[in-house]
Amino acid sequence: MGRYIIRRLLQSIPVLLGATLLIFAIVFALPGDPIAALAGEKRADPNIVAILREQYHLNDPLLLQYWYYISGVIFRADFGVTFADVPVSQIMAGKFQVTLNLAITALVIEALIGVGLGLWAALKRGKAIDTMILASTLLLISVPTLVSGFVLQFLLGVRLKLWTGLDIFPIAGITEGFRSYLLPGFVLAGVSIAYLTRLTRTSLAETLRADYIRTATAKGLPRRRVVARHGLRNALIPLVTFLGADLGNLMGGAVITERIFNLPGIGNQLFMSVYLREQPVVVGIVTILVLIYILANLAVDVMYAVLDPRIRYE
Amino acid sequence: MLPVEGGLGNEPLLAVDNLHVEFHTRAGIVRAVNGVSYTVDPGETLAVLGESGSGKSVTAQAIMGILDMPPASIPKGEIRFKGTDMLKLSEEARTQVRGQRIAMIFQDALSALNPVFTVGWQISEMFRVHRGMSKGDAMKKAVELMDRVRIPAARQRVNDYPHQFSGGMRQRIMIAMSIALDPEVLIADEPTTALDVTVQAQIMELLAELQRESQMGLILITHDLGVVADVADKIAVMYAGRIVENAPVHDIYRAPAHPYTKGLLESIPRVDQKGQDLYAIKGLPPNLLELPSGCSFNPRCPYRQGNCETDVPPLHQISGTRGSACHYWREVLDGDR
Repeated sequence: MGRYIIRRLLQSIPVLLGATLLIFAIVFALPGDPIAALAGEKRADPNIVAILREQYHLNDPLLLQYWYYISGVIFRADFGVTFADVPVSQIMAGKFQVTLNLAITALVIEALIGVGLGLWAALKRGKAIDTMILASTLLLISVPTLVSGFVLQFLLGVRLKLWTGLDIFPIAGITEGFRSYLLPGFVLAGVSIAYLTRLTRTSLAETLRADYIRTATAKGLPRRRVVARHGLRNALIPLVTFLGADLGNLMGGAVITERIFNLPGIGNQLFMSVYLREQPVVVGIVTILVLIYILANLAVDVMYAVLDPRIRYE
Repeated sequence: MLPVEGGLGNEPLLAVDNLHVEFHTRAGIVRAVNGVSYTVDPGETLAVLGESGSGKSVTAQAIMGILDMPPASIPKGEIRFKGTDMLKLSEEARTQVRGQRIAMIFQDALSALNPVFTVGWQISEMFRVHRGMSKGDAMKKAVELMDRVRIPAARQRVNDYPHQFSGGMRQRIMIAMSIALDPEVLIADEPTTALDVTVQAQIMELLAELQRESQMGLILITHDLGVVADVADKIAVMYAGRIVENAPVHDIYRAPAHPYTKGLLESIPRVDQKGQDLYAIKGLPPNLLELPSGCSFNPRCPYRQGNCETDVPPLHQISGTRGSACHYWREVLDGDR
């Protein structure tokens, strides 16, 4: 197992390099001159522009620019500086914590509601409650985050307080600690909740048709034990994969949610940086997102081996 | 205590009496079992023989109470275990019988064992759940059982998972699990079908030996005539959800009294007929949604006469221990065609 993990980590190096190069190239290809943009509406002094271009290696070919950047990251853990001479690591610091808090809140909400509803539906298959759960997942899938975010922010963040005086969900920001993340977490998890509900329902329903469930029944075990021990333990395996892979999705997908609820996370920062053409910040954030993605997937594979004894890694 | 007590008297250990099982499907009602009756006594082996879809497994699952109802339903019949009709018991009472008094082993042990638990865990679960034993004690009992079904190095292998065993060893684990609580009736549903021939013989030997030791009643469900001959005391041949012939094992092999049984026996390959065409019963198994009128076997039967298409043959009592559901059982017995 240890050797497997090391091999997987080594394999992730080319993935990281490829992903950063790709992002680097895309940002490179963006129209407009970042140095000219620095000067705003005024025309910048051509001499200053020339000096700045030289200073930031902007006249070098793409691959050489990439080399300057990536060698700094690898050898000096230096993500570079913005054109305003602020270190990128300083911009990112603290913002990842906010997004991680948001993503983990969303993941927990997703796991609780998704698995819970899915199990309920699977056990009541064909009944009215099953149909209701399925219909509501369809609704969740169909409504984009942009809509659900603003609607819930208005209803629960603004109206709830006005109508009932209950101050549960802050409208925006992270000043209320844990409570600040509840509503954005739910909005971010929305679509995933729907998928997980359906996946759980299918997985458990399929498991309960397996031969070993018939065996467990024939052993004279109470129905509760048959479902909870023999069924659930097997149905859980695909769900863990989904949840693990979804952590990466949630962090990457936080851009819209963070904008709506004005959370100072990397999603918000990414949006601003793309807008301002802060190339080093964009590449830095994406690199770390890719890294989180890779680690989450590795964790899923390791969990797989723990949950399913038939899987062994050499 | 357990819900079923009391002496046997004249009542057999297990009696299936005029059992009917239907499945309600979108295409219509599938009549899988249409009035099956058989009995098993302690220490006796009943072989239930029949092709796929003949209702032999469904009958067994009805005895265990593990049919999914719905879609299945049991409109008629009794399943008496020591005189108590199991179909009238509460689900709770049946759970007490299931696995403890009447146990079952299945065809494909790989899919019938739970892949994510060790074999020791799965065997010892019987003692933990039904006998309230501690984990350690139950595990010791599991090792003893694995020894008893002759799994080599049981102590080392008790913590292995099902996929780490060979097919024959897996079936031994199924057997160990089923006999854990000394059941009085053991139902083996095609226990050797998924195994190769040498292993089949070992498993049958093991079952016969365990039965001798404990005087269980054994119901052996199979479509393999070869398996039956050595171990069974009596045979019930099923076709389209009915028993078409029942008899002590030797009588059937000597002279079958139903055209279907006769066809089955003649379709066994024999060394002295090498090079000749193998006999096959012509036609296809009946569609259970639309059973032929009269005798279900009539479209495939070489003895068919006029009334076969209109009258359902009752199970004619040929002797004290034999029955044949054929209007013309005398002709079949005499062997003219």
